[in-house]
Amino acid sequence: MIVSTNWLSEYVRVTAPVEQVVERLALSGLNHESTSTVGDDTAIEIEVTSNRPDCLGHIGVARELSVLFQRPLLIPNARPLEAGGQAGESVAVEIADRGMCPFYSARVIRGVRVGKSPSWLVSRLATVGIASVNNIVDITNYVMLECGQPLHAFDLSRVRGQAIVVRPAEAGEAFEAINHRTYELDPRMCVIADAERPIALAGVMGGADSEISDATVDVLIESGQFAPLAVRTAARSLVLASGSSFRFERSPDPAAVDWASRRAAMLILDLAGGTLEHGVATAGELATHPATVALAVDRVSEVLGVEIPWEQQQATLTALGFTEQTEGADDEISLWHVPSWRRDVTREIDLVEEVGRIVGYDLIPEDATISARPVADTRRQDVTRLASDVLIAAGCCEAMTRSVVDEVLDLFGSPWSDKPSLTISPPLVRGADRLRRTLLPSLLEARGHNLAVAAPHGDLFEIARGYLPGAELPVEPHFLSAVVGGEFEVGKGLVEAVLQRLGINASGLTGPPPRASYRPANHPLLATGRTADVMLSIAGRAATRVGVIGEIESALIAHFNLVGPVVAFELRIDTLDTVEDTDRAVVRPSDFPPVERDLNLIVDEDVSWSSLASAIDEACGGLLDRLSLTQVWRDDGRIGPGRKSVVVSLSLRSQDATLSGDEVKEVINTIIETCTRRCGAALRA
Amino acid sequence: MDLESFVLEVTRLRDEAEAAFRDVRDAASLEEARIAFAGAKSGRLKAVQKLLGGVGSTDRPQAGRAFNEVKQAISALLEAAQDRLAAATASPEAAAIDVTLPGRPLRLGRLHPITRTIREVQGIMARLGFECVDGPEVEDQWHNFEALAIPPEHPARDPLDNFYLDVARGADPLLLRSQTSTVQIRVMEATKPPLRIVSLGRVYRPDTADATHYPMFHQVEGLLVEKGTTMAHLKSVLRLFASSFLGGDVHVRFRPSFFPFTEPSVEVDMEWGGRWIEMGGAGMVDPAVLEAVGYNPDEVSGFAFGLGVERIAARRYGVADIRDFYRNDVRFLEQFG
Repeated sequence: MIVSTNWLSEYVRVTAPVEQVVERLALSGLNHESTSTVGDDTAIEIEVTSNRPDCLGHIGVARELSVLFQRPLLIPNARPLEAGGQAGESVAVEIADRGMCPFYSARVIRGVRVGKSPSWLVSRLATVGIASVNNIVDITNYVMLECGQPLHAFDLSRVRGQAIVVRPAEAGEAFEAINHRTYELDPRMCVIADAERPIALAGVMGGADSEISDATVDVLIESGQFAPLAVRTAARSLVLASGSSFRFERSPDPAAVDWASRRAAMLILDLAGGTLEHGVATAGELATHPATVALAVDRVSEVLGVEIPWEQQQATLTALGFTEQTEGADDEISLWHVPSWRRDVTREIDLVEEVGRIVGYDLIPEDATISARPVADTRRQDVTRLASDVLIAAGCCEAMTRSVVDEVLDLFGSPWSDKPSLTISPPLVRGADRLRRTLLPSLLEARGHNLAVAAPHGDLFEIARGYLPGAELPVEPHFLSAVVGGEFEVGKGLVEAVLQRLGINASGLTGPPPRASYRPANHPLLATGRTADVMLSIAGRAATRVGVIGEIESALIAHFNLVGPVVAFELRIDTLDTVEDTDRAVVRPSDFPPVERDLNLIVDEDVSWSSLASAIDEACGGLLDRLSLTQVWRDDGRIGPGRKSVVVSLSLRSQDATLSGDEVKEVINTIIETCTRRCGAALRA
Repeated sequence: MDLESFVLEVTRLRDEAEAAFRDVRDAASLEEARIAFAGAKSGRLKAVQKLLGGVGSTDRPQAGRAFNEVKQAISALLEAAQDRLAAATASPEAAAIDVTLPGRPLRLGRLHPITRTIREVQGIMARLGFECVDGPEVEDQWHNFEALAIPPEHPARDPLDNFYLDVARGADPLLLRSQTSTVQIRVMEATKPPLRIVSLGRVYRPDTADATHYPMFHQVEGLLVEKGTTMAHLKSVLRLFASSFLGGDVHVRFRPSFFPFTEPSVEVDMEWGGRWIEMGGAGMVDPAVLEAVGYNPDEVSGFAFGLGVERIAARRYGVADIRDFYRNDVRFLEQFG
């Protein structure tokens, strides 16, 4: 809303400089957007919240100023001289749908001289950014900007059949607006029709055919009430927002409906001549919402936390137009009639806000105390922080990508759901209307961007939700996902580090739960044969899948213009955070020296490291201090086809004593025997 | 002995020799290492040489090559250690290094600036007794609108102003939440007062992306419901927050505003660098909202406030275009310490 200071001064005389005026307005609810000089006038753009349609007119803003600066408010009179016939005989008004239009009124002025507006009118409209059209149209705009009630003027000679019918538009009905564009209407919209066809889109815009022209002699002034929803639907779906639709969407003051009509008639008689017919043709019933609201005398201080003298509260509300009712009130409870233009005030708390915003929130103290309260971080916060720390230490940057992806990214699939993804309307950004089921394609895209701009690297991770179609509300898994350069083992190393940081035994070996293990898997996005599910075993629960690791499929490497190999993983934070962070008792490091041995075990190709390792672990009977893989090699000639040599390096150590040569020999024999029995291993000398 | 075991042995010898000669600090330890590895009688090299005889004849040339390599390597290590000691005794300067040479690089990743900001806000609020809560991003209309006193005909529910899903709960389509207040409703429905929570996360509104808008952004919302809560408590908590977040004794200012779920509603300004900066919205929890979640507004009252994370992060780090937060360019991300 733009207001002119010259215009405001018609209604309230404020001598304070404009800077002070805008600050007071801002601190009482009309936020300041900008101030500019237009000729000898000043335009102030203010932000009017949707609950305050009264401030969509100069009088409403002037009322605020009159309260803030304690100056009288002068409202112009609107008593035009009536002469000539009866409006009710010149036009018949009918409302077909009271839900869309509770009330409609028409005044008729005959014999006007359409022409230029006087310069004061032109310049006031110019200040608020409205171009002058002609004196009649300018007056309807002026009155709307004065009191907030939109008006429309029709050329009466173009209203066929002397009839006004307010009705829902017919499906597919065509309408040419004053902008000379034709729109196709639907029954959610309300039209003003004459005996034959629509002549205005109610509350939004007039029709080209009935607009005021130089040839117009007789004028019909419309002032009515239109339902916000019908107006909004029309303005929105036809992209035809106007000053009128903006106001009708916010329900103007019902008392202004007739006032605005009379005020416009008076100005037309003044500036364009003519004769105003007696009375007004109406249909429907003016929708009003009289309200009386109780205010406990001590309520304001209970809410604001500061004492405000009761007399000051009374004076504030009275100045704003509320009237105090003595009947039914007592020492503790006061009763207030709400003025017609303040439909937003219906409850005690609304009156409290009125007092607070005018008296000033600056009075509220800023040193009230609140009690202390213990707060612990949630396990999810902890898990998220620990996992991010690991990945940052490993050189990955945290990314944030969009939750909604386009069809291309979506069709790569997800390791978590093969149900079609949920879609939204409108798209988040162009083409992006699928709620993602995995973060990986988004991260690959971000990696591609980094490569394209020659960034130092594109190793990225993200912590965000995915959206999987569910029974009622979708399931929203909390993912920790990463995409980094390297082969499978690089990704697995990161996953193991993250899991270890979360107190999970990540090696895949036997040991106390919580423990992770890894099994071959096949998933969209990830390369066959180079992909694993990450399984989590927790004491007393079946192992569950908490993640996937895998090298990115070559087709995707190509699609995102990446250089392979690239490995990705996606972990379910929402499962990992169910692992209790138990305070485990530490094992005192042994004081005795270790004995190190290398073993070269020949096994079949399909014997996994984890089965071999767990056999060794079991065979050591608690003496295994460290086990690592030195190398794996294959040689058809020496060890035969379908076989591999696995060289392990292990360290044995006892908690209680230095291991003797015999003891070591015995353990080694047990290891070899167990590996042979369980994995078909043969020791290579 | 097979070739492979022999090579393993040779490799180990080389590793150990490297470590031993690297640790040489004086003439005595140099001599010790020399005897241990290159000693004519019982040096390790000698021992390995003896193993060579056990390697099968076909593999022997290869084994011999491996042995010669390690032999040369050990003699080079010995020589280098001798030179190093000699140089150190002759002139300490010669052993000095150029300390301005770059260190061995360790690449560190970074947290996203939005996460940093969120964590900072969370941390401050935790010290004020606010617990962190989380909730779904896909919401039903009750939690996103009705419970927040936004009735069906309210413009905020317009299909063009929200991201509605293709699936419904009952008759009403689900939608991506447009504010994190939904989480506050969920917590209040499940918890009796008193409570202090801070909810945060992604929210979605159909704004065209430009330098100051993005259709997806992050919100942090605080909620306190306790007996006898007033706007003075709201102002004081926000002032503590602002002082902690911005540093120093920061004052806050309230400007009246309008939100359906708070009454009175205010915009919160914080004094930053001699100017009032808009930080977010706040207000007393509307009695209708308290009733909607089954609280008695005559018994308890509360306040709520919300901050746009992108906005404060952009201001704090001088990010002129908030779309940069979502480009995930490592050159951008690495600038955050």
